[in-house]
Amino acid sequence: MVECLTNKKVLTKGNYAIANAAILAGCQCYFGYPITPQSEIGEFMSGKMQELKRAYVSAESELAAINMVIGAVSTGVKAMTSSSSCAVSLMQEGLSYATSDELPVVLVSVMRGGPGLGNIYPSQGDYFQATKGGGNGDYKLIVLAPATVQECVDLTYKAFYLAQKYRNPTVLLADGLLGQMMEPVEFYDYPYPEIDNSNWALSGAKGRDGRIIRSYAPLADNQCVFLEKLYKKYKTIEENETEWEEINTEDAEIILISFGSTSRNVKTAMKTLRQKGIKAGFLRPITLYPFPSKRIAELSKTAKKIFTIEVNMGQMINDVKLAVNGECPVDLINKGVGAPPSAKEIVTRIEELL
Amino acid sequence: MEKNFIIAGFGGQGVLLAGEVLANAFMLANKNVTWYPSYGAEMRGGTVNCEIVMSDEEVSEVNKSDVDFLVALNQASFDKFLAKIKQGGWMIANSTLVKEIKTRTDINYIFAPITKLASDLGNGKMTNILALGILAKASKLVSIETLNQALDNVIPPHRKNLLPLNIKALKIGYEYDLLPMNA
Repeated sequence: MVECLTNKKVLTKGNYAIANAAILAGCQCYFGYPITPQSEIGEFMSGKMQELKRAYVSAESELAAINMVIGAVSTGVKAMTSSSSCAVSLMQEGLSYATSDELPVVLVSVMRGGPGLGNIYPSQGDYFQATKGGGNGDYKLIVLAPATVQECVDLTYKAFYLAQKYRNPTVLLADGLLGQMMEPVEFYDYPYPEIDNSNWALSGAKGRDGRIIRSYAPLADNQCVFLEKLYKKYKTIEENETEWEEINTEDAEIILISFGSTSRNVKTAMKTLRQKGIKAGFLRPITLYPFPSKRIAELSKTAKKIFTIEVNMGQMINDVKLAVNGECPVDLINKGVGAPPSAKEIVTRIEELL
Repeated sequence: MEKNFIIAGFGGQGVLLAGEVLANAFMLANKNVTWYPSYGAEMRGGTVNCEIVMSDEEVSEVNKSDVDFLVALNQASFDKFLAKIKQGGWMIANSTLVKEIKTRTDINYIFAPITKLASDLGNGKMTNILALGILAKASKLVSIETLNQALDNVIPPHRKNLLPLNIKALKIGYEYDLLPMNA
């Protein structure tokens, strides 16, 4: 475990990095229920939050935890929960409500094997769960996907910021590999401006009219108006917040697209292919929603083939295909669950498929 | 340059801690480094290992398919990982618990009675750190001074009384005569 340090390089696990960054981001309340491979987040919070006189509640279930976050953020404070796969399933109702309540909920989802109880090994099988949602109705969650332990820090800060800025639930989508691995990281002060929430937060009605935050529009027309407004917000998010990493794409004939921890090996595979004289490029979506569809569409006009590499049965490939829209073939290289395929395996598979 | 290490043994031997000390040492030496544990339904007495990858560049991969340096603290780890060692790589085995059999001729072996050396020091629990001393000497990739500093990083405040003994264990490992053990 590491202390809440700033400006000093420390070797720490992804889970501790996330927890530490959340505290530095000003998270006032943590609610959660333990589950591997993210239990270290709750463990760290259970000690540190009390020490800092902030709130830590070991919830009786994940359903309770997400609703506790909804309650806390309604009052205008920063709050979060963290969980994994099968337990994030239990939070889907709460996430749908939080989008309709327009509340800045932060959820850290550290993926493990599924479906069902699955197993505790790394996986990217919850791409759909995070980006398409399991809750009801038309809604989007902002989804950030770190690839290194340092990014676990950077994107935790960003998750709190974007949640506040757009009043929309935001998911930090990590996986068991990132949660459990250690790398050197640097913590720093929360780099984003604080968002004024005095015009909506339930901060006590002394001296002003009371407010209600609710997810209910009894008249059909009202709900239409609300949904149009919500989707206007999503359009703004798509225009302003789409983020990705791109290497060697200028002259690329094949493009390898991958997110999260898997992208580390994919980047190495791209370099190996280059050494072999194959013009390969690399693109890593950092925001999974909003997805870098426009950029992928541009690249598909000159690329001969696009590969997506995922540790699931093929999920992100659907968004890539929508972006490519038939401009070039898109193929999947995947593994169902576990540590990502090695760079060597990826190179071999690509050579077979070219 | 990129090198990777696997430290393996049974649960309770301090395999993950030794790996954390090594990874900290590489960080202190301004290398890029990752530490990744085998995690699963592990329990005390079961097998456990961690992989450390250090690199001058961005670390290319986690969970690599082969390994440069293997530290096997028990027989099960020796058997499991022998085939994974690269040609010209190193097997550092705890001969207190591992049989001295050299089935591969294309790697370097060090058989050292690590647990016995630790017990002679007064604490068999120092096996993991003593092994790091041997690893430092064989690999020439990390200095004993940096490892001492790394120990200080890793050992929590309420256990600092154990720091001198750990530093001693490192030294004994580092000064252990490796020459007759080489292939």
